Amino acid sequence: MSTSSKPVPIGSMIPLTGPSAADGAEFRKGMILAVEELNARGGLLGRPIEPIFADTCRQTAEEVVGAARWLIEKHQVHAIVNGYNIGPQNSEYEPIADAGIIYVHANTLLQHHDTVMSDPERYFGCFMADPADYWYGPGFIKFISWLRDSGQWRPNSDRLAIISGSKPYSIVIANAMAATAADFGWRVCFGPKIVQTPTNQWRDILEEVRETNPAVVANTHFYAADLAHFQRQFMEKPMDCIVYLQYGAMHRSFTDIAQEASVGVIVSSVIGLLRDEMGKRFEARYNARFGEGSTATIGCQSYSNMHHYAVAAAMAGGSGAPGDFEQNRKVAFALKGMIYRSVHGTIRYHPDWQAVVPYPVVTHDPSLGMPHIFYQIQDHKKPLSMIAPEPYNTERFIYPPWMSGRTASPKATSMNPRGLTGL
Amino acid sequence: MADPLLPIWAGLDVVPSGLLVWAADRKLAYVNDTFRRICDLPVSVGLSFDEFTFALARSHEVIFADEADEWAMGEIANFGVEKQSDYLFAAGAVVQVTQAPTREGGMAVTFTDVTAVKRNELALREAKEAAEATDEAKSRFLRAANHDLRQPLASLKILIYNCIREEDAHHRADMLHAMGVAASIMEDLLGALLQIGQLDAGRIQPRITSFQISQLFERLDIQFRHQAEEKGLKLRFVTPRGTVATDRALLERILSNFVANAIRFTEVGGVLVGCRREGKGLRIEVVDTGRGIRENERERVFEEFYRVAEERRGQKSGLGLGLNIVKRLADLLEHPVGLKSSFGRGSTFSISVPFGNIWHSDVGETDISEAIAGEFANTPVLLVEDDDILRGTMTQLLRRWGIEVHAAADEAEAIRLAETGVSPQLIVADYNLKTRTGVDVIRALRAVFGVDTPAMIVTADAEPRVLESIREAGLPVLIKPVSPPRLRVLMHNLLFEPSLVKAPGR
Repeated sequence: MSTSSKPVPIGSMIPLTGPSAADGAEFRKGMILAVEELNARGGLLGRPIEPIFADTCRQTAEEVVGAARWLIEKHQVHAIVNGYNIGPQNSEYEPIADAGIIYVHANTLLQHHDTVMSDPERYFGCFMADPADYWYGPGFIKFISWLRDSGQWRPNSDRLAIISGSKPYSIVIANAMAATAADFGWRVCFGPKIVQTPTNQWRDILEEVRETNPAVVANTHFYAADLAHFQRQFMEKPMDCIVYLQYGAMHRSFTDIAQEASVGVIVSSVIGLLRDEMGKRFEARYNARFGEGSTATIGCQSYSNMHHYAVAAAMAGGSGAPGDFEQNRKVAFALKGMIYRSVHGTIRYHPDWQAVVPYPVVTHDPSLGMPHIFYQIQDHKKPLSMIAPEPYNTERFIYPPWMSGRTASPKATSMNPRGLTGL
Repeated sequence: MADPLLPIWAGLDVVPSGLLVWAADRKLAYVNDTFRRICDLPVSVGLSFDEFTFALARSHEVIFADEADEWAMGEIANFGVEKQSDYLFAAGAVVQVTQAPTREGGMAVTFTDVTAVKRNELALREAKEAAEATDEAKSRFLRAANHDLRQPLASLKILIYNCIREEDAHHRADMLHAMGVAASIMEDLLGALLQIGQLDAGRIQPRITSFQISQLFERLDIQFRHQAEEKGLKLRFVTPRGTVATDRALLERILSNFVANAIRFTEVGGVLVGCRREGKGLRIEVVDTGRGIRENERERVFEEFYRVAEERRGQKSGLGLGLNIVKRLADLLEHPVGLKSSFGRGSTFSISVPFGNIWHSDVGETDISEAIAGEFANTPVLLVEDDDILRGTMTQLLRRWGIEVHAAADEAEAIRLAETGVSPQLIVADYNLKTRTGVDVIRALRAVFGVDTPAMIVTADAEPRVLESIREAGLPVLIKPVSPPRLRVLMHNLLFEPSLVKAPGR
């Protein structure tokens, strides 16, 4: 086989087993779909792309570093393209930087900025294709302020209660919420209180929160089942407040456990499939390939990262094997320079952070940032309603059922304000 | 045989000016090609001057100050008179038309495109005017700088004076913080004043952004709190919720002028800063219980260098620039300014600003890092390391993560830190300290603190016997060189998820 038609090995570190196996399965599907599409169009400058999957199990530092070494040493991968792995805390950057290959992930971690900026030469190939966890904080504060200031919701006070899980991600988000609150007219009346997670026992802390009579309760822990129990226990004796639950509440397993209790909950994601024409078409392709039970909104992460990488490598004149620093620097340069509109919004790498910035919190231009999407569960049997930000939202906020007895805002209608089809 | 004049005709066709030669009978005797290029009129030899003039007047090719026919009559009357004028052509060119009588009683007329020359002249004139305005602006700037820098400077002087005598470390830190703010306000002020100088020269463009008005109120509070307290006045801010869309720095200039005046002219009572919702915007009001302004002076207080009668007699009077600056800035921003006053009882100055888009509102620091927002931000850690270089690099790494590092070279220094009030949430100790082991130091420190402060050992000595003894003491250990991610994980677990720290000895 000549070099020109030899497959290009691309690694993907994915939790195929362990607690995040459901997400891992979707990341794998996203990679497969992207590679199939790319290969059907001639691969990377005529060379087929060959995905190689490494299981990161429980996503500990040892497991993820082990996976990176295995991909580099055994398979000589030119790049590692992922969804996310929680837990390795950037320790996997070391073998990748030593090999000088490209690494694209969606770990949603602020420390990515720190690591890259501590030595931009060494970490030239490390890219975070979604915004850092930190941005959840100011984004959330803006969201509740927008609900308040636009008259969609009348809070009973300016009090905000913040509960955090014990993972760095949850702590960073909770602290960021607290740090931004005052600027937008909110007072932190409780927390951020760090709860040892995982846990499904929330009654004690809910009782403490209840005593502070908040207008908003935010829980930044992110395990779907834990959050479902939180919501069920909240509903045993609801408060007159908005409930925000971090990322995990987007999962099917959340509504499966919380059932009717989930209706009204607000949840957000700094990376999620859009419901515009591009997003819809992707979802249809994804489901046609992998079956109706698939979750395109998770699979889209690795899918887009793989596509973006392939275009950049083609622009650079090809990919580089481990040790080929020169070629991979060209690929990194192309990745940084190319604004890529994925099915979940724009991937544009910040020149210093090598991470995506969120819209609208950091950039006010939707063509330059990835939308931080706010959802509300309005019907637990249906997909989540996308209620902010413009121009991507498709539904409007409604008063949660536990806040009955208050003036309801105009009911959400099936009207489609943006003229999108098939919604 | 060729016409001997042909080379001359050919030459005249390419001179840069259009040329028309009229005979004594007022008929056109010659026209060159350049004229046809300048003026799109059907002109041919034999055409009468009157016809030509009316045709030009009615062609709409040229823009006339008067009625076109009147112009034509004037031109016809002036046949053969030596004269020169500039005309603006519809397409934008400026054409200089020069006519001169011939000795035969006819007339030669040239049409020269002087657009570039005129443009240069205009640019030169504008540059001269700008230079003059800048000169004037400079002197205004000096006057204004003197006026506006007094406010934060006064705060700074009071703070420095109080700080010298303050023994309480907490209060001192508060005051130093306020001094820092006052200094940065002065810095901003100088920048803003420079802009005001440019404003006069018409060179300032407001930068409209959306922001939370509360952020501005907080800055004003810090800027003026001490001055108000010195005078025994109550300064109160009723902070609204709301996003406004305007130039943040210029609005701050306007409001700080209002507040400074309110404090200056109020002897008893206080100053209240608040907002009212007004249509699609917010009216920001500064209300004082001061001496008020007479009705006949209410318009004039906004004039440059105007001071009310009482103030003119005063010792510490301003220059009468503040409100004039306000007015000019408000005009530029197109924000209405209001004044209500009751003489002897107080005044209310206000400015109305439009609401902004909350999603576009600045969130302060966008250049975030772990030092500002990481999970370890502001966590106090006590580091005991006897190697100067390692202590330095470790301190640097931990600070980058936002950790408040208290570094000690040995046990004695660490104990001293502990006894002077340092209370860390975590201890990181080297194992091989000169006379003691890190395990001993941690034990001694915990005794001082009276609690089992979470702690870890770092060591270059990977000998199993050493590691065993550390683990026996119940302490987690990292081998040097320490990998930052591993240090991060262990620190996180010790601080937030102690159950994940591996049980010692296994």
